[in-house]
Amino acid sequence: VATALDRTFEAIVLDWDSTAVPDRQAGASGVRARVEALCGAGVHVFVVSDADVATVDGRLQARPHGRGRLHLCCSRGSEGFAVTADGPRCVFRRTASPTEESALIRATERTVGRLRARGAEVKAVSERLNCRAIELAPGPARLTSTKVEDVDPLTEAGLAGVVALAADASRDAGLVDPRITCDMKQVTIGLTDKSDSARWAANWLVGRGITGGLILIVGNGFGPVGGLAGVDSLVPVDALTRAVVVSVGDEEGGEAEGVVQAGGGSRRFLELLDGQRARRAARRVPDIDLDPAWVVRLPSTRANERIAGALGTLANGFIGLRDSGGEEGHGLGSLFLVSGVYARDNQLLSGPLWTGLEQPGIHRRHSRETLLDLRTGMLERSGNGPAKARFVRFVSMASPHAMALRAEAPEPHLDPGDPLRPPLEDVDFERDMHGRMSGAKTKKLGAEIAMAAEDHVETRGGLRTIERLATWSADPTGTADLDDAYRRLAEAEALGFDGMLAEHREAWAQRWAGAEVVIEGDPEGELAARFAVFHLLAAAADSGEAAVGARGLTGNGYAGHVFWDADVFVLPVLAAIRPAAARAMLEYRIRRLPEARAAAHRQGRRGARFPWESAGDGSDVTPRLVRGGDGELVPIATGPHEEHIVADVAWAADHYASWTGDAAFLIGPGRALVVDTARYWASRIRIDARGNGHIEGTMGPDEYHQIVDDDAYTNVMARWNLRRASDLLVQAGETDEAETWRGIAEGLVDGWDPDRAVYEQFAGYFGLEPLLMSDVAHPPVAADVLLGSERVAGSQLIKQADVLMLHHLVPDEVVDGSLESCLAFYEPRTAHGSSLSPAIHASLLARAGQPERALDLFRMATRLDLDDLTGTTAGGLHLATMGGVWQALAFGFLGLAAEGSTLAIRPNLPKAWSALGLTFHFAGQLISVRAEDDQVTINAVAPILVRVADQAPVWCDSTTSIALEPSFAAPSHK
Amino acid sequence: VSTVLVALDASTGARAVLETAVRVGELTGAHVEAVHVHADPRECDDTLEALAARIGVPLKLLEPPVEPALIAAMGEPDVIVAVIGTGGAPGYGRPVGHTATSILESVDKPVVVVPPEAVSPGTMVRLLVPLEGTEASSRPVRERLVPLLVADADVVALHVFTDTTLPAMLDRPHRDLDMLGSEFLARHLPRANRIELRTGPVATWVTEVSEEYGSDLIVLSWSQSLSPGRSHVVREVLGDSHLPVLLLPIVPTDINEADAVSPPVDGDLA
Repeated sequence: VATALDRTFEAIVLDWDSTAVPDRQAGASGVRARVEALCGAGVHVFVVSDADVATVDGRLQARPHGRGRLHLCCSRGSEGFAVTADGPRCVFRRTASPTEESALIRATERTVGRLRARGAEVKAVSERLNCRAIELAPGPARLTSTKVEDVDPLTEAGLAGVVALAADASRDAGLVDPRITCDMKQVTIGLTDKSDSARWAANWLVGRGITGGLILIVGNGFGPVGGLAGVDSLVPVDALTRAVVVSVGDEEGGEAEGVVQAGGGSRRFLELLDGQRARRAARRVPDIDLDPAWVVRLPSTRANERIAGALGTLANGFIGLRDSGGEEGHGLGSLFLVSGVYARDNQLLSGPLWTGLEQPGIHRRHSRETLLDLRTGMLERSGNGPAKARFVRFVSMASPHAMALRAEAPEPHLDPGDPLRPPLEDVDFERDMHGRMSGAKTKKLGAEIAMAAEDHVETRGGLRTIERLATWSADPTGTADLDDAYRRLAEAEALGFDGMLAEHREAWAQRWAGAEVVIEGDPEGELAARFAVFHLLAAAADSGEAAVGARGLTGNGYAGHVFWDADVFVLPVLAAIRPAAARAMLEYRIRRLPEARAAAHRQGRRGARFPWESAGDGSDVTPRLVRGGDGELVPIATGPHEEHIVADVAWAADHYASWTGDAAFLIGPGRALVVDTARYWASRIRIDARGNGHIEGTMGPDEYHQIVDDDAYTNVMARWNLRRASDLLVQAGETDEAETWRGIAEGLVDGWDPDRAVYEQFAGYFGLEPLLMSDVAHPPVAADVLLGSERVAGSQLIKQADVLMLHHLVPDEVVDGSLESCLAFYEPRTAHGSSLSPAIHASLLARAGQPERALDLFRMATRLDLDDLTGTTAGGLHLATMGGVWQALAFGFLGLAAEGSTLAIRPNLPKAWSALGLTFHFAGQLISVRAEDDQVTINAVAPILVRVADQAPVWCDSTTSIALEPSFAAPSHK
Repeated sequence: VSTVLVALDASTGARAVLETAVRVGELTGAHVEAVHVHADPRECDDTLEALAARIGVPLKLLEPPVEPALIAAMGEPDVIVAVIGTGGAPGYGRPVGHTATSILESVDKPVVVVPPEAVSPGTMVRLLVPLEGTEASSRPVRERLVPLLVADADVVALHVFTDTTLPAMLDRPHRDLDMLGSEFLARHLPRANRIELRTGPVATWVTEVSEEYGSDLIVLSWSQSLSPGRSHVVREVLGDSHLPVLLLPIVPTDINEADAVSPPVDGDLA
């Protein structure tokens, strides 16, 4: 009992009848005081009773103030009331339809009739909300007897027989799902029961990020009585799996499985409530719900500490925090970054570190465990040394400037130390004090980050607890105001740790409600996919501008520079699961249009030339030279030559608009992203004597072949860019330039080889050494390291999806049926030597009807950081790969595509998956799609036009299931 | 008092061995002592004594038999590093002679092997430490060598990718290799001043990089077996190198479970 209750619960679901109060005469003032106190401390309380609200509220009379909510779930699951200072207010009521009402009457009549036919006397029938109670034959014997068999002479099977009789009679009367309960006094037939109360409570709590293990269920009758499960056994419903279920009853008929038998009746019940109040008062470390579908165990060895730090990054779009937690101060690779705060050297500035604590007497070798709860964005660490220390921290998703941690351990083994410490990087670090608040600033030329923190330390009964709240202030313009950080800290302290945590959990719950991922049959794949979505949801703010670097805010790899990873791999995901964040990413590009225009002008071109790598001011920050392995300086060709970024930015803008239905974007602020980029291409393309257009001296996504002519990816993306911009100009009545661009687009060579039915990756590619990966090594492998860059450049081996990116991004721009032939040609030549490659191939293979091979590559992508396949995860997570993971699920396995405002769904599931479900936004509304072998189920809030496979589009409203035709096979897609 | 113990024989390489020992003494800040086993009555020890005296290293004569005497002397608690020559004519498949093999396979301490043609270095500050990237082989370097080094030793780590250890993906090759190298050093040898990454035959690269960087000493951890089929990199380097090679035994009990390299993530709570 002590172990089961040694945790802090966020919600208590309690049985009123005989648990909270021993009998109908007992006073309830003790319960009221405790319920009000718990609600005041932030705990949500659900009182479940068969009685009506007047009865329950009349006795409890609780009027809680504070963040915790009190709900009375009364009338046998048919009604729920939220209780405030003004009294109970109905928040749900199950209303019987006329058909149900008459069926209920018939069911009662039939049950009475059948009971009488068996010789039983029925005293009366009472009518309550959604149910009828039939009082069984009264008599002196059954009123005094405690033996079940004595009181029910009706059937050999005892009470269970009565229930079976009533259930049969009810179904015969037309009740689809009759809820029958029976005790020694009466049998009750209804439309609802306590399980409905429990499900309602569970659903309400899920919306606040409170699930299973954070919930305490207390009752007194879970065990069997007279052959029936105890009435309280209805409360631990599936939606409350992992909840701690405690019985304070005698359970004379036997204990129920999975129920903690505390006994002690109402007095014990009050003690349980007191225990929870005490934990709150002592600021004990909160718990996470150890749900294996949502919790990732991070590496715990010293060697993997930096990887653990990256994997366990907590971010909220504005900031990223990583600290794998050392015993003395900080873990290796600790980092605090603020999105967009680049110093003059174009590197993200490291902020002060605020999570360091001292643990005297704890040695590195003492085993420990670090858990990342994806559902709530909390990191929990626990140690098993001499001190059973526990730590929890979070970066508020609700209040972007606030962060908090709590720690607890036996007193000698925990000290706060300096709340703010300098980062591991070499930057200027200044300390400050403001009353009890500590302040600190980091500075580099052109950037500052200010931070404030305050500790609350106390020791009770030998247990020391530390609570630390921290806030930050920084601005991409380069200054940071400590006063802002102090002011925000005062606000955070006014809200308190528990309040911050509650808001944080709820904010994450809201994000997940629009981004659910379900992969049935593959729990590991599901967890890994959720891990990817977790980091994507945390990667971009949903207001202002979002500079999403290749490693996001999870590490300082590439100094936080923004690549096409953001536009092509991350943005399409956020457009679906967090549209406002996708819009903020585009805002980052929009605000850098002036610099892109200047760059085009400097090159003698027109329009806007976005840089391959971008940081604060939008100039090209790609390194021109790097020191090679032999110490020599090696030129980097991507900056001057990987120009496809220009079209990638345009594509991102257009994809956002078409997927979200934000049509105004391309008329207004996003228009220049498409039009000015097209103008660049129009000035970049050389027209030869025969009128054909060429783009020379460029580099495609496959960087094994640097500086080539007429790269298919670049040319086709440029063609798409010109055509799309031309459409926009025509809409605006600007036909002259539109006509010119359309002409240029039509003449642009694209490498299509009709004889091979394959796009040639660039001019001359087919003439290279025809090496296959099977000749060389098993992918994924850095073929350039294995064979040397010269050999690879002279061969047909490619690093990653290149031509195939066209099939992924612009399927309408490629020849019908060319996906299969291009996959057949390029897949054997692809080294997957880029983290961008496996997920895109997985998506395309699924679309092409090869879901099993697709699954192999999907798994490679999901494990890329979790298993540190690249050896560089310590430098930050590969956000583009994570974007690819979601895209493979959505566009590959589920086969989603926007066809105007119609959502096309064309599932291709591997055998191991029994179902795949995603929740996302499309055309301005939230929609869930679940694909199984034989059907697709769509859940939409408002009507939406959906086309499944090759069937005609249908309007879907609320929940619609559409059968997949048996003959449905993988399409011959573009 | 820490001692660098150098075993001398009457071969022409004795001078290089002794001078190397002096450099090792400077590298580790330890006192240098020489020993010689007077095994052959016809042998005149005067030359060795004169050599030791000239270089300023005390020489102690030990009673035969050779191997037990040397192994016992090297086992003394104050001895932190032993220095030996490769010994007589190396047999087929063995880069060092019988006595050296016996010492290397028995002495549980860092042992520097000085090849006969070695030119004794004027200083010993530049160390090349090839690392295969396993905790078992890196740990002896971190824990048994690094604490002995004086501050200004320049430690260069070398990791050679083989077919089985090639990186899977390099998005931005040079910067990814930088990241990979930094992580490699952080994991395996934080004391190193830098890391060199190469691809191909390990022993060949050890020799080439040591020449390229003018290394004074090559450091290899090993399983203390020169039997055919074992320690092929050590055997090749000992066979090819003109530099002294410091061999660090891997002690199985060095591996602590909590610090061992393991797959990063278990995936779930199961």
